[in-house]
Amino acid sequence: MNSELTHRLSELLEQVTGFIYPNEIEIHWSILIVVYPYVTGLVAGAFILASLVKVFNVVEVRPTYRLSLLTALAFLLIAPLPLVLHLGRPERAFEIFLSPNLSSAMAMFGFVYAWYLMGILLLEIWFEYRRDLIVWARQKRFPMSFLYRVLALFSTDISDKAVELDSRAAKIITMIGIPSAFLLHGYVGFIFGSVKANPWWSSVLMPIVFLMSAIVSGIALVTLLYMIITPLRGKPIDIRCLDKITSYLFYAVIVDFALEGLDFIHRLYESEESVKILSALIDQKLFISVLVMQVVLGMIVPLIMLVAVKAGRLNEDLRKLFYFTSCILIQIGIFSMRWNVVIGGQLFSKSFRGLMTYKMEVVGVEGLLMAAALLIAPFLVLAVLLKLLPAWKEAEEH
Amino acid sequence: MCGANKKSFWRNIPDQIIRLAVVTVLLVGGAGAIYILLPASLTSTKLHRELTVTAETEKPIRFAGSTLCGDCHQIEYEKKIVGYHKSLSCETCHGAAAAHVDDPMAATPFVPREREVCPVCHEYDPSRPTGFPQINPTIHNPLQSCANCHNPHDPVPPTTPQECSACHAGIMRTKSVSSHALIACTTCHKVPEQHKIFPRIVRATKPESRDFCGTCHSQGSSERSAPKIDLSRHEERYVCWQCHYPHLPAERL
Repeated sequence: MNSELTHRLSELLEQVTGFIYPNEIEIHWSILIVVYPYVTGLVAGAFILASLVKVFNVVEVRPTYRLSLLTALAFLLIAPLPLVLHLGRPERAFEIFLSPNLSSAMAMFGFVYAWYLMGILLLEIWFEYRRDLIVWARQKRFPMSFLYRVLALFSTDISDKAVELDSRAAKIITMIGIPSAFLLHGYVGFIFGSVKANPWWSSVLMPIVFLMSAIVSGIALVTLLYMIITPLRGKPIDIRCLDKITSYLFYAVIVDFALEGLDFIHRLYESEESVKILSALIDQKLFISVLVMQVVLGMIVPLIMLVAVKAGRLNEDLRKLFYFTSCILIQIGIFSMRWNVVIGGQLFSKSFRGLMTYKMEVVGVEGLLMAAALLIAPFLVLAVLLKLLPAWKEAEEH
Repeated sequence: MCGANKKSFWRNIPDQIIRLAVVTVLLVGGAGAIYILLPASLTSTKLHRELTVTAETEKPIRFAGSTLCGDCHQIEYEKKIVGYHKSLSCETCHGAAAAHVDDPMAATPFVPREREVCPVCHEYDPSRPTGFPQINPTIHNPLQSCANCHNPHDPVPPTTPQECSACHAGIMRTKSVSSHALIACTTCHKVPEQHKIFPRIVRATKPESRDFCGTCHSQGSSERSAPKIDLSRHEERYVCWQCHYPHLPAERL
């Protein structure tokens, strides 16, 4: 046996409490599998925010429409990376397309992902940007003008009729996109919710809880990005837009909180044979990450802040501060929620009589630095996308 | 008229849709073409790819199976099937032997004489079951072939050798045809009891003085049949066994 592995496992062995089975000592789904649902959730959430403009005609949110589309794309491009890095043989990932197994929920990710990327997001972005791409192709000089022409698929028609069609097409795609976004993230919840052998995961509420938390995190992220990028561009933040987005955020947090509370109370009242180990799990292993980070910091404090903004007549600066803080806290809360689901579900024995420990690597492929890199990567992609496809009103008009 | 209608139908399709349709056709067509071009075995959804199964079954048969060995090597086979190695196949130690079965003279199976072979299973490893015979190859009778003391076809827990010939068979054979044949080993060598258990650590002694051989071979000795020498004048600077091999004394060096 590999001596390094023996050393690592024997270190873990000292921290086991109660009785566990021999093959449970190693936690196989590492922090990368925490990053995966977190990143995917941001995609779904950002897209739902974009759909508010197109489908529900919420005009106040218009300034964030393109930003949320590009955010969704940037995060979607990175979303499969944690999975691929987690695979021992990443080159085999391609095989799910060659020999599709339609009865495997895991294998379906490839198809759900491909549909969402190619069928929805790229298409909607193309229709949204087509007119601008043509305009930019005419304004810019050689290499960029050619790139824009290619991106516009060499189309040149910017008549009112054509632009009107673009807008209609984007609306239709968004309508198909909403259930698709639900599918993308509901699917991630389904992966966990359908593991019937694991009482911490197995719950029909899991897909819907994942979906709501995805919407919460996605809206919060786009709000954060909007609040950071706009001053950097030297423009004023549209406070009406912020008020509107955060009120949607507020409702989403309430629904998410209610669903998670319902799930918790339901488990407690059902009191199945697993309830003792699950309460020991929360008490001994996940106290900080569930109660402090996920519930108090990630939900209750932001809710109080958002209620304070709604109830009191706070001035603009204070409102912005509250929005900004609550969005950051929500990100921490949602990331903790993913952590609690993925890591928490592997910390107790199938015997229901013992608890294990997760010891995170720092440098390895599945380590902390890699997870940090994967969380930073979408922002770099987004920076490139924003440079290429400016998401601002001024850029559209020029 | 009909042709004109057709033309206007195509013209009415928006420009964007046509462009996207081209891209879609290219993507879907490309993916489809790759799918078709790939060998069928790569896209098979069966549990094992058909080609893998075919490739596996087409491999040449190299193993004969232990029952066949028993047809010719009855003595070893019958010992083995009732001994501790009964669950091992002959070919586990002797290697694939299908070629040997086909033509016994052309191919000879491997005979594991090296010390490296048995420790594959019998080297000490804490994960092995309690009671499984295990040794530390570094200190367990180094340089001896395992088969010198253990019969691999009927391995039994080791016993202490009773005769010197158990380990020193070559010397015993030589001595038995020499003029020293009737002299017991212990006449010349003092053998501590522990030598039988730790032969390398506790050594038997060798005669160290000329006088020892002189007990029989000096002038004035009562041993009549032994050749006599004058110890004070016969190569006085050497011990006897530096020139005379005591296990076959007639041969001079």
